Amino acid sequence: MIGFILGHLSLFELVLVSGVLAYSQYIVLRAGVFSMATAGFAALGAYTAALLAVRLGFPVWAGLFAAALIGAAAGLVLAWPLARLRGVFQAIATLAFVQIVMSFGLYWESLTGGALGLNGIPKLVHLGHLLVVLPIVLYVLRAVSRTGIGRAFDTIRQDETVAVSLGISVVRYQRLAFVLSGALGGLGGGLIAYRNYSLVPEDFGFPMLIAALSFVVLGGRNAVFGPLVGALILTLLPEVARPLADYRLAVNGVLMVLAIIYWPYGVVDTVILHWRQRKAVHARAVAEVTP
Amino acid sequence: MSGLTLRNVSRQFDGLLAVGDVSLSVLPARVTGLIGPNGAGKTTLVNLISGLLRPTQGTIHLDDEDISSIEPADVARRGIARTFQTIRLLKEASVLDNVVAGFHCHERSSWLASLLGTPAARRETAELRERAAELLRQFNMLQYADQAAGNLSYGHQRRVEMMRALATAPRLLLLDEPVAGMNDREADALGEIFSRLAADGLAVLLIEHNMRFVMSLCQELHVLDAGRLIASGEPHAVRAEAAVVAAYLGG
Amino acid sequence: MLAQQFLNGLVTGSTYALFALGFTLVFGVLHVLNLAHGAVFMVGAFAGLYSVTAVGLPLPLALLVAMLVGGLVSVAVDWLALRPLRRRGATEFAAIISSLGVAQVLMSAGQAVSQTQIMRFPFGTFPIVIYQFWGLRISLLQIVILLLSLVLALTLLLFLFRTDFGRQIRAVAISERTSSLLGIRPGLVYFQTFFISGALAGAAGVIIGLAFNSVHFLMGEPYLLRAFVVIVLGGLGSIGGALVGGLLLGLVQTFAVSYLSSSLSDAIIYSLLFGILLLRPSGLFGKLHIETRVVRA
Repeated sequence: MIGFILGHLSLFELVLVSGVLAYSQYIVLRAGVFSMATAGFAALGAYTAALLAVRLGFPVWAGLFAAALIGAAAGLVLAWPLARLRGVFQAIATLAFVQIVMSFGLYWESLTGGALGLNGIPKLVHLGHLLVVLPIVLYVLRAVSRTGIGRAFDTIRQDETVAVSLGISVVRYQRLAFVLSGALGGLGGGLIAYRNYSLVPEDFGFPMLIAALSFVVLGGRNAVFGPLVGALILTLLPEVARPLADYRLAVNGVLMVLAIIYWPYGVVDTVILHWRQRKAVHARAVAEVTP
Repeated sequence: MSGLTLRNVSRQFDGLLAVGDVSLSVLPARVTGLIGPNGAGKTTLVNLISGLLRPTQGTIHLDDEDISSIEPADVARRGIARTFQTIRLLKEASVLDNVVAGFHCHERSSWLASLLGTPAARRETAELRERAAELLRQFNMLQYADQAAGNLSYGHQRRVEMMRALATAPRLLLLDEPVAGMNDREADALGEIFSRLAADGLAVLLIEHNMRFVMSLCQELHVLDAGRLIASGEPHAVRAEAAVVAAYLGG
Repeated sequence: MLAQQFLNGLVTGSTYALFALGFTLVFGVLHVLNLAHGAVFMVGAFAGLYSVTAVGLPLPLALLVAMLVGGLVSVAVDWLALRPLRRRGATEFAAIISSLGVAQVLMSAGQAVSQTQIMRFPFGTFPIVIYQFWGLRISLLQIVILLLSLVLALTLLLFLFRTDFGRQIRAVAISERTSSLLGIRPGLVYFQTFFISGALAGAAGVIIGLAFNSVHFLMGEPYLLRAFVVIVLGGLGSIGGALVGGLLLGLVQTFAVSYLSSSLSDAIIYSLLFGILLLRPSGLFGKLHIETRVVRA
């Protein structure tokens, strides 16, 4: 019985951590930036947090803060050439960025332990920490959605030419998006480091990149709860359908393709859209009846 | 307030002269028209004014400030609002949100306030939505506030575009073929709005094909052909002046 | 020795160019970053390998099989993952995501089929002959790689510029709408584009599998990333750019590995990518206006 609960508890924690990564991917897409750098930010954050804890004895919140900071800095560096450029270049460069970070992890053995990675990382993050972090992340993203930054992001994403004609500095806002994505990715990495006891560079390669993307693509790119729902579905799916677990990556891939073709808005946004349409139809029906 | 002044503005593309030595003024409180056949360079001129292109020669001033080579977003912030030839609304956003987007350059909340979701930032959002609603009321569109902009009729979409442009509180309104594809009644309704705006002090530059519409609305008219101004002045005089022009325009 | 490294660099570069050719072709015609290209390359290599080991075909035939399989798989990728998006006018973002998903599926399949083993072409598939001249060493395999890449690239160029089909492809690359008004059927053009792209990738797969004596399900990844650098360096959508860029990158890589260290060579290559994006995103042969955000000239 305890085993059952504990087993599901770590699954729940995994969903929360995945959620943070999903939001790192989400915020850039919201601003119309084709960045896929989240896994790279996570790698930087994870190793930073791990090294600070292992070698300098940093406490948990300081380590997580440092991880987010490193991620934000990396985002700023990426933004330097990329905020000016078209989406295609952003996609290429961020894919390469993930690879570069992994290469550094593999080759800078004195710092990162190379292919064998870092071991003996204290498990500093527990459910309590996650239950503080995720609501904060959600709060910030919701705040952004309802105020100036979110408005600017939405306009840029939907039509850059219009955004420019309304005085929105596209470059500055996309730079901001990179920094926010970096901070969230770094934070996610830090959480991973403090939960997993050990890190290897391969943890932060293509599979994580695709996972973060698929959370957002499946869950939704607009409404704030979308990415979390996506993370929930994709994390629980292999558990619910056991045979799928072995082919997790392939399943992710297939779902991503299906979602982008048939459900391009993702689960949450599609539901919200339908609900709104039904409301509008209902309102029109009422208006037609009442004189 | 001197409005918009173009002095000897030229724009070349690798040897092709899209706009050549154009000088004109768009004064406040009047509607100035710009007409010309397809390929005359009207779109290039609009892009030059709104900052998407830089002139290869000449200068563009807005109220005595040189805006020839600043970024397009800065041009918009200095007070030039434009509408587009093909409607560019955010089709999936609500009508209200489309108009709210126009208030961007007047937002006061900082990024930090936005990230933290401070009461001030949220209040500003509410204020902007109210101001947008007020605009909708003025244009008789309040009932469409929550509808997706893409679901509206063409005429209504044009109005939303107009409201969005006005939300920026511009000094100059650049209208790029705003009544294309409309019937006379709809066009005249929109035209009345333009006259009203000019009467309130706005400088309006109207780029159009529709000769009848232009004649009834403009206090000054310029004719562009192959990148050059071939006639300028009072509309009736300009129309009578160049029979060649009339041949292009076909009334 | 400098000249030796130069030669080695050209050979490496020609493999990069061969891989990048198909990649840039698809981008040039459909404006889509086909991230499944690396997976198709891997599938081609697998097909070539199994032709030799399981079916016992001679190498030249295996190469043809690899090209055929590569072409067909590439077309299937388009048909399943990209065509539905074209139908509804989806954004380039959607196409990138879709191709990424398919790549993942193909790689998982490759992993399952190969049971995560690194496979090799059997000893003796290609004779080991080494030539020496002017103090330089070059193996027969390297010569064949150079020649084959050259031949394939030239064939592609001839096809694009001297045949009707090729002209149609170039027309669609410039403007799909105008081309269809002229009576060109874009569907046929896309089919050819993806087939050629996949065939080239399949050929590259066999060649590289032979050259480095390893075939495994992840082999496409490093090549895909190098292809990014190649096409940015050469100019997005430019065939000549892919050739020149590939060769240049091969040289940079070889010199970096021999004079610095192999771990740094990766860092150097990606720094090159960032440098290009900062200074001249259009690359060597690209058009300036397609990549900056707002047209400002």
